[in-house]
Amino acid sequence: MVNSYLLQFAILFPLAFALILLVGGRRIPDPVTRIIAFFGVLYPALIAIWLWIAFDPGASGYDFVANVQTGLTDWVGISLKTGLNGIGLPLFVLSGVVGLAAGLHSLLTVREKVREFFILYLLMLGGLMGVFASIDLFFFYFFHELALIPTFLMIGLWGGRNRRYAAMKMTIYLTVGAMLSLVGLIALYVQSGAEAFNMIAVREAMAGQTLSEAAQNYTFALLLFGFGILVSIWPFHTWAPLGYGAAPTANAMLHSGVLKKFGLYGLVQIAAPMLPGGAEHWAYLLALLALGNVLVVGFITVDQSDLKQMIGYSSVMHMGYCFLGLACLSVVGVGGAVFLMFAHGLSVAILFLLADYVYRRTGTFDMNAMGGLARKTPLLATFFVTAMLASIGLPGPGLANFWGELTVFVGLWQWQSWMVVPAVFGVVISAIYGLRSMGKIFFGEETESFQKRQASLPVIRDLDFGEKVPAVILLAVLVFAGLWPRTLSDPLNEAVQSYYPDQRAETLATTQEQDEKIVYRGTLPGNE
Amino acid sequence: MSAETLVVILLFALPFLSAAVIGIWFRLQGNIAAAISVASCGVVALLGLWLVFFGERSVAPAPVEWLTFGTYTVNMGYYFNDLAALLLFIVVVVGLLVHIFSLEYMRKDEGKARYFAGLSLFMFSMIGIVFADNLIMIFIFWELVGLSSFLLINHYFHKPSAVAASKKAFIVNRVGDFGFLIGIIWAYWHFGTVELSVLADMVGQDSDILVTGIGLLLFCSALGKSGQIPLHVWLPDAMEGPTPVSALIHAATMVAAGIYLLCRIYFLIPPEALVVVLWVGVITALFGSLCAITQKDIKKILAYSTISQLGYMVAAFGLGALAVKNGVPVMQAGVAAAMFHLFTHAFFKALLFLGSGSIIHACHHEQNIYRMGGLRTKMPVTFVTFTIAYLALIGLPFITAGFFSKEAILYLAFANNKLAFLVLLFSALLTAFYMTRLWLTVFFGAPKSEAAEESKENGLLITVPLGILAFFSIIAGWEFLHPQAFSGILDGIPHPSGWTYLLMVALGSGAMAIGVAAAYVYFGVGSRQDRLEREHPGVYAFLSAKFFFDQVYNWYVKTIQERLALLLHFIDQIFISGLIIRGSAGVLGLCSTGLRNLQTGNLQHYLYWIFFGVVVFWILGRTVFS
Repeated sequence: MVNSYLLQFAILFPLAFALILLVGGRRIPDPVTRIIAFFGVLYPALIAIWLWIAFDPGASGYDFVANVQTGLTDWVGISLKTGLNGIGLPLFVLSGVVGLAAGLHSLLTVREKVREFFILYLLMLGGLMGVFASIDLFFFYFFHELALIPTFLMIGLWGGRNRRYAAMKMTIYLTVGAMLSLVGLIALYVQSGAEAFNMIAVREAMAGQTLSEAAQNYTFALLLFGFGILVSIWPFHTWAPLGYGAAPTANAMLHSGVLKKFGLYGLVQIAAPMLPGGAEHWAYLLALLALGNVLVVGFITVDQSDLKQMIGYSSVMHMGYCFLGLACLSVVGVGGAVFLMFAHGLSVAILFLLADYVYRRTGTFDMNAMGGLARKTPLLATFFVTAMLASIGLPGPGLANFWGELTVFVGLWQWQSWMVVPAVFGVVISAIYGLRSMGKIFFGEETESFQKRQASLPVIRDLDFGEKVPAVILLAVLVFAGLWPRTLSDPLNEAVQSYYPDQRAETLATTQEQDEKIVYRGTLPGNE
Repeated sequence: MSAETLVVILLFALPFLSAAVIGIWFRLQGNIAAAISVASCGVVALLGLWLVFFGERSVAPAPVEWLTFGTYTVNMGYYFNDLAALLLFIVVVVGLLVHIFSLEYMRKDEGKARYFAGLSLFMFSMIGIVFADNLIMIFIFWELVGLSSFLLINHYFHKPSAVAASKKAFIVNRVGDFGFLIGIIWAYWHFGTVELSVLADMVGQDSDILVTGIGLLLFCSALGKSGQIPLHVWLPDAMEGPTPVSALIHAATMVAAGIYLLCRIYFLIPPEALVVVLWVGVITALFGSLCAITQKDIKKILAYSTISQLGYMVAAFGLGALAVKNGVPVMQAGVAAAMFHLFTHAFFKALLFLGSGSIIHACHHEQNIYRMGGLRTKMPVTFVTFTIAYLALIGLPFITAGFFSKEAILYLAFANNKLAFLVLLFSALLTAFYMTRLWLTVFFGAPKSEAAEESKENGLLITVPLGILAFFSIIAGWEFLHPQAFSGILDGIPHPSGWTYLLMVALGSGAMAIGVAAAYVYFGVGSRQDRLEREHPGVYAFLSAKFFFDQVYNWYVKTIQERLALLLHFIDQIFISGLIIRGSAGVLGLCSTGLRNLQTGNLQHYLYWIFFGVVVFWILGRTVFS
C-alpha cells in the first residue's frame, strides 16, 4: 500500500519541485535551486530502486496499483490510475536511474539559466516517471507530452551546433508521431467500447469483442507508425541523430535513453496485445523496416566522424533490434526487446555522458581530430570502452545488452529464420564502428590538429569525482542487470506471458492452462 | 555441495575477483596488481591441478537458471570430463608460467596493472570455456576471451599498429562468431536444447537428426578463434601484443579453444561437415608453413607456424568420424589425435614464444631475426630450451613430444585420405625448413646488431618457466607417462603397426630431415640477410604477399564497405531528410507566422504556457474521453 503511494510520489516529486522553482522565481538563490533540483532527481531514483526490490516477481498483472481521485473526479471523472507490471518496471527503473545520472551531471555542469533549466528538466523527469507508471491511457499519453515539450525547449535554448534546425526537425517528426499515436489510441478506445480510458478497462473490453480485420489493421497502423516515428524507425529516423547531436547532454541522455522507449513501450504494452490481428498483419513490414534500422543505419553509423552523431545513429540502429523482437509477437521476442530497451537505455545514456566528457577535454566532437586520449585519461577510456562494448552487444562488460539481443535473435529465428542472418550481421557492423570510435578517440597518437588545439584548451585531466558519479551509477546498474538478469527478466517474463503466446509451446501442444492464461488469442500464429 | 563444485566456483571466482579488484582499486599500482594477479593464478593452478588429477568427473549439480522467457531458458552450469581436464591442465600450467614470466618481462611497463588485470580476465574467460556446459554459455565466454585478447593485443595502445591489430582481431573474430551464433540459435530450435550432455544423448538415440548446416556454422567459431583460412588474418597481427600474451593466448590456449570446442561438440558435426573441416585444416596447415618461410620478425614466423599447427589439429579432427555405439556417441581417433597435438603444441609453442620473449627482452625489443645472431653463447638457457621446443615442433623422432603427436595425425591421414596425408607431410617438411632457418639465424654466427651484442641471459623469473616448459615439451608425448586423468581422450590416439609403423616413422623423419638439411644448405649458419629474397625475389615476393588475403580484405573494406557507408549516409542526408523537411518547412512557415507573436523570448512566459497547456489539456482530455 505504501509502495503504491511511493509510485505516485515518484511522479509527483519532480513536478512539485519544478513548480516550487517556477513560483519561487528569482527569489531562490542559485545554490538552493540546485539543492531543490538535487532532491527532485534523487527521490524518483530511490523510489524506483526500492520498487524494483519490492516488486513481486510472480505477479503477472499490475503491482502497486493506486487510483487517486483528483479534485475533478466528480465533475469529469478523472482519476490518476498508476501501477507497474513486469513490462513497466524495467523502464520505470530506467527513467529513475538515467534521470538521476543526467540530473547530477547537469547540476555540476549547467551554468546558464540554471533555474529554467531545472524547471524543464524536472518537468521532463516527472513526465518520464509518469509514462511508465500510468495504467490510465490518457495519462500515459499526457505524461509523454509533458516530457517531450521541455525537450524541444531545452534543445533550442541550451543546445549546441545546429540547434534551431534540430529542434524544428525534431518537433515536426515527434509531433506528427505523437498525433498519429493519439488518433490511434482514441480509435482503439472508441472501438473497444470501454467504460474508462485506461489500459485495463480497454483490454477487458477488447477481450470481449472481435474487431473486424480492417478495423484492427488500420488502428494498429496508426499506432505502429505513430509510435514508430517516436522511436525513430527507419526511414523516419533522421530527426534522432541530429536532435541528439544538438541537444544538451542531459537531454540527449534522457531522450535517447528513456523517452524514446515510450513508443516501443506503447506498442508492447498496448497496441500489439490489444490488436493481435493488426499486429500480425503489419509484423512482416515492421520487421523489414527494422532490418533497415539495423543494416542501413548501421552502415551510416560506420561513416560518422562526429562522436555524438555516431552515438545517435547507433542508438537508432539498436532500436531495430527492439522492433525485430516486437515483430516476433512471441514471449521470447518481446521479452528480449523489452530487456534490450532497458539495457540500451543505460548504455546509450553512458555514451552520451562520456561524449560530453570527451568534448570537455578535446574541445570537439570530431573523432578525426582527437587520438591518444587514453594516456591522459585512462579512467575515461576504461569507461568508454566498457560502455561501447556493452552497447555493441558484447557479452562482456555489460552483459545486459547481450541478453537482450540474443533473446531477440532466438525469438526471431522461430518466426522468420532468414532474418536472423542480416540481424546478426548487424552485430559485426556495430563492432566496426564501436572499435573505430575507441581507436580514433583514445588510442594511437594524438593527431596534429588535436595537438595544436591543446594550446588553447585547459590541461587535460582524468575524470574528477563529480564526473565519475553519474557514470558509475549507470554502469553499476547495467553491469548488475547483466550479471544477474533475472531480477528484471522474471517479472518481465510473467507480464509478457500473459500478453503473448509462447509460440513454441503452441506448436507442441495447446493446453487448457494456457488457454486460460492467454486472454488475447485473436489470430495469433499457430493458433488457428 | 560437492568439493568439485566448490573448486569450480573458486576457479571462476578467483580470476574474476582479481581482475575486478585490480580494475577498481589498483589501476595505478602495478606491483600490487601483479601480486594479486599472480597469487590468484597460483591458487587457481593448485585448485585446477587438484581437480584434474583427483576430482571426479561429471558430478555437476543441476545448472542454475539465469534467464527465462517462456520456454526459452539460459542456464549456467559446468560439465567436467577428461577432455575438459586436459585443457584445464594446459590452461593452469601455461597460465601460471606466463604470469611468472610476465613479472620480469613487464616489470617496467607503465601499463602493468592494466596488463595483469587483462591476464586475470583472460584466465576467467578461458576457464569459462573449459567448463561451460551449454552452447550459449560457451558463446559468452568465447566472446570474453576475445575481449581479453583484444585488450591485451591493444596493450601498447599508443602504437597505431597495435590499435589496428587489436581492432582487426576483434572484428575478424566477430565474423567467425557471426556464424557461430547463428549455428547456436539454429541448434537451439532444431534440437530444442543447447545443453551438451542432453545433445549427446539425443544424437546417441538417433544420429539422423544431425544437420550439416548446423555443424558447419558451429565450425565457424573455430575458423575465427583458431585462425583457420580465411579468417586467419588477425593472428599474425596479434603479435603486436606483449610476447607473454602471444605465448598464452595466441599460441597455447585461446587459439586452441577452437579445436577444443570442436572436440567438445564432436557429436554435432556430421560426416559431410567433417569433409569441409578436414580440407580447411589441411589447406591452413600448408598455407601457414608457406607464409612462415619469408617472415623476418621472429614472432611472425612463430605466428604463422601456429596457424599451420592449428591447421594440423583441425585436419586431425576432420579425419575422425562420428560413431555411435550402444546409443552413446563415441570419441573417435580424430578427437584424440587433435587433442594430443593440442596438448603437446601448447607446451612447445608457448616455450618458443616465451623463448622469443626472452630474446626480445634481452635485445631491447629487437624482433628482426637478421638483427640477432650468436645468441647461443650469450643466452645459454634460452638457447637450450628454445632448441628443445624447436626440435619438438619439427618432430625429432622418438624423443620430443611433437614427434608423437604429429605422427598420430599423419598416420590418421595416411589411413583415411592419401591426398591430405601428402599435403600434411609436405607441410611438415616446410616446418622443419622455416624453423631451422630461424634457429640458425638467431642463435649462430656473429651478433648482427648492438642490441644482440649486448644481450645477456635473463633472470630466474624468465628462465625457470622456460625450463619447466622444456620439460613438458619432451615428456608430454611419452604415452606411458600420460596420467589416468586424461585416459578418456588420449587412450584413443591412433597407432600404426608393423610395416605401416616403420613407413610412417621413415616418412615423418625423412620429411623433417630433408627440411632441416635444405635450410642448412640454403640459408647457411648465422646468415646476414635472406638468401631467398636476394636470389629469387619473385618467389620471395609471392610468398611474402601471403596469398593476398589482407589485400583482398582491405580492398573490400575500402572499396565496398566504406563506399556503401558513404552512399547510404548521402542518401540519408539528401533524400530522406531533405525531402521531408523541405515539404514540411512550407507548412511550418505558415504556422510560425501565426505563432510569432507568442514568442516573447522570455522563458518564464514559455514555462507558464506549458503549465497552462497542461491544465487545459487535462481538462479537455478528460471531458472528451471520459
